[in-house]
Amino acid sequence: MSEQKHTVKGVDHVAYPTFDPAATVKFYRDVLGFPVVHSICAAGWGPEKHPDFIHFFFDIGNDDRLAFFYYFGLEPFDGGPQGDSYSRFTEDVPIFFIRSRHLAIHVDSEDDLMEYRRRLDGSEWPVEMQIQHETIESIYTHDPNGYMIEITRALRPVTPQEDLDANITIDALVDVVSGPEPSMAALLTRKAELIVERAEAWQQKQDEKEMVSNR
Amino acid sequence: MTTLFVLDVPENTPIAAVAGQDPAVMIDRVGPYYRIVSDAPIVIDRRATKARHAVWYSSVAGLHRSRITQWDKDAMRIEPR
Repeated sequence: MSEQKHTVKGVDHVAYPTFDPAATVKFYRDVLGFPVVHSICAAGWGPEKHPDFIHFFFDIGNDDRLAFFYYFGLEPFDGGPQGDSYSRFTEDVPIFFIRSRHLAIHVDSEDDLMEYRRRLDGSEWPVEMQIQHETIESIYTHDPNGYMIEITRALRPVTPQEDLDANITIDALVDVVSGPEPSMAALLTRKAELIVERAEAWQQKQDEKEMVSNR
Repeated sequence: MTTLFVLDVPENTPIAAVAGQDPAVMIDRVGPYYRIVSDAPIVIDRRATKARHAVWYSSVAGLHRSRITQWDKDAMRIEPR
């Protein structure tokens, strides 16, 4: 496990291209209420031919930002009937794969989640799914560029043992994918070995920590 | 011998409890995990656990010399390998 200092502070910005900045501004600023906090008007320059562009940023809370690039005169690229403004896929690519890449924005409460649901449902981009996952509840829609956006709240705080389990899962996964036939069965077998190796010692440390904090 | 590990988090508590209703099943703990053991197959009725699907399909933490032979909306069945 890493003993390095962990000093990063979340997402500065994530950036996507858009071919429809008007709808993008309507969706993020006017429907969702995400303030525009920064923009750059840049003349194309440099060694390659680069179009003039606008780089603009929405505040998604916590001082984190969602940014877009709009390139003047640039047309969407081909690639298939599925996907979004950045990546197009042919018909045979399954939807679970296409939806695997998405941005999830956090809210603190059910009221906040439902408020964003109301804003989306009153717009051209209504909520497509509302799902209670294992420990979070989420709403989903696609923005005007076809990017899947999730807004999510925690159903309860994450417990320390879930962090242990996550680390055991990932160590097991790294082992299993280096082996001949990666599968869920192989992963669960490797996890059982790691649980037996590590879980008792983890619990003892956890109990000691709790005793110290209760003193 | 069938051995199943389930992480002790609130959503999984009823799953371990339903598994333990079978008199052949013994449950102890390895750190924060339930270790659910039986000489026979372990069968858990999903509806009895009241687990929603996302919880149900992510509730198995580990399997020792055992394999899942059924894991659907009705039940989970685990047998010795």
